[in-house]
Amino acid sequence: MTDEMRGPALVRDDAVTNGLRAIYAAPTEAAYWERLEQRIMAHFERGQEEGRWWALSERTYRYGMMAAGLILILAGSVYLRSRAVESQMAYESVIETPGADQPVYARRLPLDERRATLRAATGH
Amino acid sequence: MSERPADERDLVLAAQRGEREAFSELVRRHQRRAYVVARSIVINHEDAEDAVQEAFLHAFKAIDRFLPDQAFGAWLHRIVANAALDVTRRRKVRDADELPETVASPFRDPAESNELRSRLQQALQTLPARQRSVIVLHDVEGFKHSEIGRMLDIPEGTARSDLHYARSHLRRVLGEVRSGL
Repeated sequence: MTDEMRGPALVRDDAVTNGLRAIYAAPTEAAYWERLEQRIMAHFERGQEEGRWWALSERTYRYGMMAAGLILILAGSVYLRSRAVESQMAYESVIETPGADQPVYARRLPLDERRATLRAATGH
Repeated sequence: MSERPADERDLVLAAQRGEREAFSELVRRHQRRAYVVARSIVINHEDAEDAVQEAFLHAFKAIDRFLPDQAFGAWLHRIVANAALDVTRRRKVRDADELPETVASPFRDPAESNELRSRLQQALQTLPARQRSVIVLHDVEGFKHSEIGRMLDIPEGTARSDLHYARSHLRRVLGEVRSGL
């Protein structure tokens, strides 16, 4: 039995540990690890081939989002600016109409004799 | 667990630039430990290999997000643990669909005839998966509780108590065998 720093609750049984080490021991042959490395690299390269357009699209997506954000900001500011210009023009078109500050007289058609008599009699 | 070769940061930076040889070197340095982490979680050697391959692929797809000043091994082990858990889940589904669950034989166990060891293998199958992983990572590979906690995404205290229960269970099973020998 081997006592660890955490007291009796975590006492290690050396027979169990040795058994576990035998069962879970990683392969020791260098050739095995070379083969595994080759398989990992082959797997990686296959994955890269399959995922290349994803990788590209991920990068493109990032730039695309940035560009879209910029375009949105620009479009928004152009829209606001054009709205302001329109309002200004509408205001100015009212303010700057020649004679806008003069009294407006309605043009009336001359009354015929019958209507004139009637108006004079009724008062309106 | 925490020692890092001085040039590992350079390797990571080179791998982030897409240099294949740097990636290959990182695989060479970390594959054994990655295998051990995966093996502690999955049920057999073949699944451990699959998990390691998947994990390296995931790691290098995500390497742009890795901060080179961190420990690459710790980051990789977390990915390996997740890949191994995925493999385990897939195997459970497959086994449920196809075959009754069998006790998978570990990779070239040199003591198949040893009664204690064979009982230990059986006892391991009866342990909850997380407890099995914790005892293997701690007692076989010497990972610290904090490292195991990070890898398996559990609190350090849980790793500690899992270890306690796993040891108790295995000792009890082996005690029965010993007394019967």
